[in-house]
Order: sequence, then C-alpha cells, then structure tokens
Amino acid sequence: MKRLVDELRAALPAAFERDEYRARREAIEQQFKQKSEAVFGALQRRAESKNITLLRTPMGLALAPTRDGKVLAPELFNQLAVAERESLQHEIEAIQGELETIMREVPLWEREHREAVQVLNRETAGFAIAHLMEELRRQYIEPPEVAQYLDAVEHDIKENVDDFLAPAAPAASETSAPVPAPILRDIEDARFRRYQVNVIVDNSEQHGAPVIYDDNPTHQSLVGRAGQLARFGALVTDFNLLVAGALHRANGGYLVLDAQKLVTGYYGWPSLKRALDAGQIRIESLEQALSLASTVSLTPEPIPLDIKVVLVGPATLYYLLSANDEDFDDLFKIAADFEDRVERTPETTLLYARLICAMTRREKLRAFDRGAVARIIEQAARLAGDADKLSASVRAFIDLMHESDQFAIDSDKEVVGVAEVQAAIDAQFRRGDRIYRRLQEEIGRKTIRIETDGEEIGQVNGLSVISLGNLAFGQPSRITAQVRLGRGEVVDIEREVELGGPLHSKGVLILSGFLGGRFGKNRPLSLNASLVFEQSYGGVDGDSASAAELFALLSALAEAPIKQSFALTGSVDQRGQIQAIGGVNEKIEGFFDSCRITGFTGRQGVIIPASNVRHLMLRRDVVAAAAEGRFAIFPMDTVDQGLELLTGIPAGQPDAGGEYPAGTLNHRIAARLDAFAARAAELARTASAVGGRP
Amino acid sequence: MSGPIERVVVPLDAAGENLTAIDTAARLAAHAKAPLHGIFVEDEDLLHLARLPFARQITLGARAEQLTTEHVELHLRIAAERARRELFAAAERHGVTCSFEIVQGVSESALTGASERDLVVACALTRPIAGHFRVECRWWSSIEAMPGPFLLARQAWSASGSVVMLLRDRDPAAVRLLEAAAQIAEAADAPLTVICPAAIAGAERFEHWLADRLAGHQVRLQVEIAPTEPAVLRERLRELDCRLLAIGAGGDPLRDFVERYTCDILIVR
Repeated sequence: MKRLVDELRAALPAAFERDEYRARREAIEQQFKQKSEAVFGALQRRAESKNITLLRTPMGLALAPTRDGKVLAPELFNQLAVAERESLQHEIEAIQGELETIMREVPLWEREHREAVQVLNRETAGFAIAHLMEELRRQYIEPPEVAQYLDAVEHDIKENVDDFLAPAAPAASETSAPVPAPILRDIEDARFRRYQVNVIVDNSEQHGAPVIYDDNPTHQSLVGRAGQLARFGALVTDFNLLVAGALHRANGGYLVLDAQKLVTGYYGWPSLKRALDAGQIRIESLEQALSLASTVSLTPEPIPLDIKVVLVGPATLYYLLSANDEDFDDLFKIAADFEDRVERTPETTLLYARLICAMTRREKLRAFDRGAVARIIEQAARLAGDADKLSASVRAFIDLMHESDQFAIDSDKEVVGVAEVQAAIDAQFRRGDRIYRRLQEEIGRKTIRIETDGEEIGQVNGLSVISLGNLAFGQPSRITAQVRLGRGEVVDIEREVELGGPLHSKGVLILSGFLGGRFGKNRPLSLNASLVFEQSYGGVDGDSASAAELFALLSALAEAPIKQSFALTGSVDQRGQIQAIGGVNEKIEGFFDSCRITGFTGRQGVIIPASNVRHLMLRRDVVAAAAEGRFAIFPMDTVDQGLELLTGIPAGQPDAGGEYPAGTLNHRIAARLDAFAARAAELARTASAVGGRP
Repeated sequence: MSGPIERVVVPLDAAGENLTAIDTAARLAAHAKAPLHGIFVEDEDLLHLARLPFARQITLGARAEQLTTEHVELHLRIAAERARRELFAAAERHGVTCSFEIVQGVSESALTGASERDLVVACALTRPIAGHFRVECRWWSSIEAMPGPFLLARQAWSASGSVVMLLRDRDPAAVRLLEAAAQIAEAADAPLTVICPAAIAGAERFEHWLADRLAGHQVRLQVEIAPTEPAVLRERLRELDCRLLAIGAGGDPLRDFVERYTCDILIVR
C-alpha cells in the first residue's frame, strides 16, 4: 500500500495535469460561468436598459438608478418628476425580485458545479489508478476480504483525490511563518495514514504453527491495544496504532502462559476466558472492556481465534481454579501434572550430566569436570530430598552452576571442579544461614538448653525444620514429659497455650491412643501427663515429633533415663509403628552441628524412621563423621526399637496373657500404671467412705 | 514610464479581490526598491445609493435587506481596515515602506495624484457572485486617465508562465512598455517574449535596439513574429503560458484584451 500511495502521488497529479483533464475542467467552469453570466448578464442588461446598474456591495449586490452611466445622487433623484421616481423605484423593485430569485438558485448551481467537478475528478482518478489497483487485486485474490478492502481503497482515493493533488507540504511562503518540520511530517502523515496497512502479525517467516510465550499476560498484552499519539495537545489514535496481543501472535498455534502471572496479572484471566469463550479476539482497552470510559475510540472488527492455550503453573493453582472457576474445566480440558523430581537411575543421571553440559554451553560457562557434575547431581538429589530422586528444578542448579563458574573464575581455573561446586553450595547456605548460626551459637552458650550427653528421665531431643526463604535447616528441641496420678489425660501444653497446630495436636492424641491400646486393656489409665517443647516460643505443627514426645512420656512413666546423646524424629501411629517424616537431612545436620558445638563424644547420633533412610542425602561432613564413627544414624521401625536405643533397656514383648517380662521397659511402664490405678482406687474408696469425691 | 519606478500605487475598494493586487504590488515594489502606497476608495456610488429610500442589498445568505448609509459606511470602514492590514503585512513581508490613505469618490478620482513614474497595480476582478459572475472591474476609467504604467492583476504571483509583450513599433511609448515588462519579468524570474510584426523584427539593428533597452535587466529574452490572426495569437499566448501580457495603451481596445485573456495585463501609455 505504501508503494501504491507513492505511485499515486506521482500518477494522480500527472493525470490532473494532462490537457484532457484541463480541457474538461475548463469546459465545466465555462459551462457554469456561462450559466451565471447568462442569468446575471441578462438581468444586468435588462437593468441597464432601464437606467439601472448592478453594484457590488461589500456583502452582495444592489441596484442603483443611473443617468448617463453614473449612479444618481439622491439630490438628482429627488429632482426627478414623481412619476419618474416611482417608475424607477418600481423597476428597481421588480429587478430586485428577479435578483433575489436568482440568488436563491445560486447554492444549487454551486452544488451542481461541485458535483460536476467531483464526477470529473472521480473519472480522472479512476482512470489513473485503475491499472495500479488491478495489479494489487491480482496479487491478493485471497482472502476475499482483501478484495473488498481494495475496492474500498479505490473508492476512497477517488473521493479524496485532492489529498494526492495538494503539494507534499505547504510552501514556505512569505505569507506565513515556516511550519515546523515535525508538524509538517504530521500533516503529511495524516493525509495518507488511512491507506497504510498495519501488519500486526507477520508470520511470513514462520515455519509451522506459532508457539508464543507471554511473560506478562495482562489484558492488553493478551488482546492487544490501540496506541495513542499526542497531537496538538490531544491523544489520538487510528488503526495504524493497533498493536497485536499474544493471542494474535499465537493465533493458529499455541500460546504458553504462566498461570500464576495470568491470574494475578491485571485482568488477564477474564480477558483470556472471554476470548476463548467467544472464539475471537477483540482489541479494546480495559476501560472499554469494563465500560469505564465514554470516550469514542477504535472498535476493530473481532478476529476469529483458533488457538491452543497452555497454562503452566503450580498444581495448587490448578486445583484452585478447577474448584472455584466454573469456566476453567470447560476451557481447559487437558491436565498434565508434571513430577518435580525424577528417578535417580544410571540413565537419568547420564541425562542430567548431559543437561549440565548443555547448560554450560547455553549459559556460556566454563566446562564442568566429572567431579563437579557428580556433585551437582548429588545436590539435585539433596534438593529432591531423596537419595533415589533428582530434582527437576533446572533454575536451582543453573544458579549453582553460575556461582560455581564464578568461583572458578576467581581461582583462575579453566575448568569448574568439585571444589568450586562445593564452595558455591556452601556459599549459598552461608548467605542465608544467619538465623541458623545464631541458634547454634545459643545452643553452644547453653542459652538454648540442648543436652548432647548424659541421661535424663522424661526428656528427649526432638528435631524440627525451620524454612526461611530457600533455606531450610534443622533445629533440635528439648521435649519433656511429666506424669502424675490422674484420669488418663495427656496434656499438650503447646495446644493449651494455642501454640500447637492441628497436626501436632493430632500426634499427641495418637499418643493417648497408643498408651490406651498397649497398656489400657486390663487397667484404667489413671494418670495425667503433660508434654512440652521446652524453650519453644513460636508455633509448633506437624507430627514428626510425636515419636519423640511418646519416648519422653514412656521414659517418664518407666522412670527410665534417656540418652541425651541422641536426637530423634519420626511420627508414630496408635499401634507403635514409626512413620516417615520430611526434612530428615536438615534435621540430622541440625543435631550434628549442635553436637559439634557442644563437642563430639563418639556416642552421638540421630534416630530416624527406617522409611526415611532412602531420603538420606547428607552433607559430606556428616557422612564423613559417620564413617569415622564420630556420629551415628539409626533407623527404627517401631516404638520399641527406639526405646531400646534411647534407654539401652529391652522393651519387652507381651506374653499370651498380655504381661511383659520383668526388667523390661514395658513391664516398668505397666507396673507404674498399675500403681497409679491402685492409688486411684484407694483414693476413690477413701473418698466414698467420707462422702466426698476422689 | 522611463527610468526607475518612484512608487507602486495600489487602488483598493470594498468590491475587489484586493489581496492579489496587494501581493503583486508589494513584490514589484520590493524589486524596484520603491515605496508602496495604498489608496482605499470608498465608493461614492454606494453611498449615494444608500441614501435612496428603496435601496436594498441582496446577499447569498439572506433576504433583501435595506441598505442604509450607516450600513454602507460601516462595511466600507471594515473593508478599508482589512485592506490596510493586508497591505502593511505584505509590505513588511517584502521589506518595503508603505503608506495608506482612504479617499471617498469614484474610482478615477482615486488615482489623480499618480504620476507617470508610478506603477499602478489594481485588481482586475471583483469578488464573484455565485462563484463565477463578477460585476465589472471599477478601474477602467482610471486606466484611461493614468499617465504611467497600469497593471491589472488577476493571477497570484506564484503562477508560473512567461511575460509576453506585444511590440507594435519602436516609439518612446514602446520603450516604456518594454522597460516595464522587463522589470516585471525580472521580478518574477520569468522569460520575456517580445511579439512584434515581421517588419519590426526584421528591421536593421532591431536586436541591438532591444539589447540596448534591456541592458540593465537580466531577462531571458525571446522574439517572435506576431501572427496576423487574433486566434493564432491567442493560441500562441496559451502555448507560451502567458502570465502577463504587456500592451501599449493605444492599440486594441483594452476591454477586449481583458475579456479575451485570463492573464495579468500591463498597460503602458
């Protein structure tokens, strides 16, 4: 279209300069000139024959009496005979009436004249542009809308041919100040802007269907917008300022969107739904879409939409949308739940190594030697929290690779080795471990009391995980239990003061269930017990400390001291089975670091659920300490296994009558409970005798 | 006119297309380094008419309305002020000194003070009615009385084309005509075509005579033999894209020329 306009700007003035046009135009002018002269001339002649002349006034025409070709002065007029004066006046009034009639027809003549010129101009323009338009039509046979558009263009050019005949810019005449160049450009631009074609999406270089990712899926970035130009103090727009949205660019192909950004981005989600639901893209401003603005703006014809939209995001968001947005399941019918971890097999390990290699090239990093690659893969397993899995979080290990690369640069190494990767891992942890270091420091200073040696009745080292940003670390906590005569209640002090979460409370109630199941079949549980996380000032949740709480309780009941050199983690069920927990590596490392501060004794270690063994991906110093016998990790499947490890006393198995062998922990517990029951019965009897209540 | 132009005088009135005359006059004044003088004539005939009891004015936009003296005077004052502004603006644009006066009378009385060294530039057209019809130009009577050159301006100065002079003899009036035409051609940067009878063109030393007369002017000169038929001359003028036709006052009736051609007409006595 630009070429067409350029050609027309030469061809049309040339056509209107031709003798043929000039002659026809002159003929029209002559025709109308003759017509007006004939009418006015006849009137003028008739007037002159009656000694009346036609005068041009500043505003129009007037008729005046004359004598000898000169207008009669009033004095002379008054000297005329009355009859002559009246006759003259009568004649003037008569001609005046004719003149009025003629003047009323003048607008009609002018319109006829304009129309005649327009017809001529249209014909001349049509002749000049016909071959150019034909050439375009041949080029764009399909789609039919283009042919319609070209017809409209041709019609518009014929109707507005003056635009092409006017000089490119107003001449810098002396009659006016020179027009500034930007305004000239604006004027020039405005004349032919309507013939431009605004290609909002160009897929001419595209092979296959377009695949578009929009990293900021808001209303406007999806459906496009009409830009605006400041012109002479006002904001104006036209179709040339229409900008495609991601939906236009992906039309006929695929649009990939970050679901989280989509739903949190400004009005992106409703706009996407509306477009998908209607099957068309409607470019409109948000104000228009929400009916907030009353200003008139462009309303481009909607564009049919044929697209596949892929939303990528966390599974929780999928569940939320599915549950709360009634349109979601209609519009998005295929769900794909991607695993964020992969099995750690020789094949996947090899693939991982290849991926690392590819990333070094893509990110323009130094080469990583095999040790470095192995360490990254190990870290990937650590991030997965499972020795048998690898994290699929590419972003995390790319960050690690960049940092490792920087360590290599700092060390003038051509190849990144395991030392650099380890330095990067350590640095990543160190940068965020301020709170962790502070807690360990306070353990060392005994401000936070954690016993890592010796024995205590009713006290055990539990382990919890604290997550701060990307960093998670283990924190040992002292859990204590007290038992006394009562009515079978286990009091969770955390819950009483509303610091315990529901899962923690559930864990404590399971303890009651365990006690009742194991020891309450043949006797009343006439005890009250209280459990607490000592020096805990924040909320406690999760059931991973339920095993530790049970051990503290049983220790208190059996009056059997627990080795403080151990910490333990695990949840327990009512049958005394130990169940897996999360964050096992961080917990072990947390107690390991506490032991390092208080001093290794060679007897320290952590008891974990056996089902968590496969998740062990411990720090190298922990592994080394274990290998050297300075630190130990024990798996347990049952409460009894844990009890034996913690107390060094056999737990004991019940005989056919449900009695435990003497000298075992369970026997001691049962005996203690019997004693409580007997004492409770005695007190009840005494109270009954005196009429009181026990 | 022989020698330099002393003033460029522009007669103006309420009926004419003054702007064309003003612009042409200012340009010629600038080229001749002469002052520009505007004379606005308050048409006495109109004032007389207004005093008649049956005087009416008919305009395109309204019904016939009574024409009173106050009405006419008001509009004449407005027209004079507009003419004054346009004149001074043109003078300023072209860097010439300018004066302006208002006289009341008929057109021939307006230019009585003009000398043979003044170049008078008057608009040849009244403002049209119905796009095409124009009442007669008011300056005819002045032309007859003018001692110096008189230019009837009809086209905008920016119009292209050549200056054509009809030379009939080599008397002093012809010399004045040649000089005036040359000045205008020079000012307009237009070629000057001298059309003369074969007898003159073929006369001995005619070219030297021409060269001597045009020695002070930088013009592109062309000499042609005048056709005998008026229609052929008219066609030739069209071919030459004649923007200004310079003629002597004593030849063909002026009105014929003005009616026959659409270009500017320069008349030199």
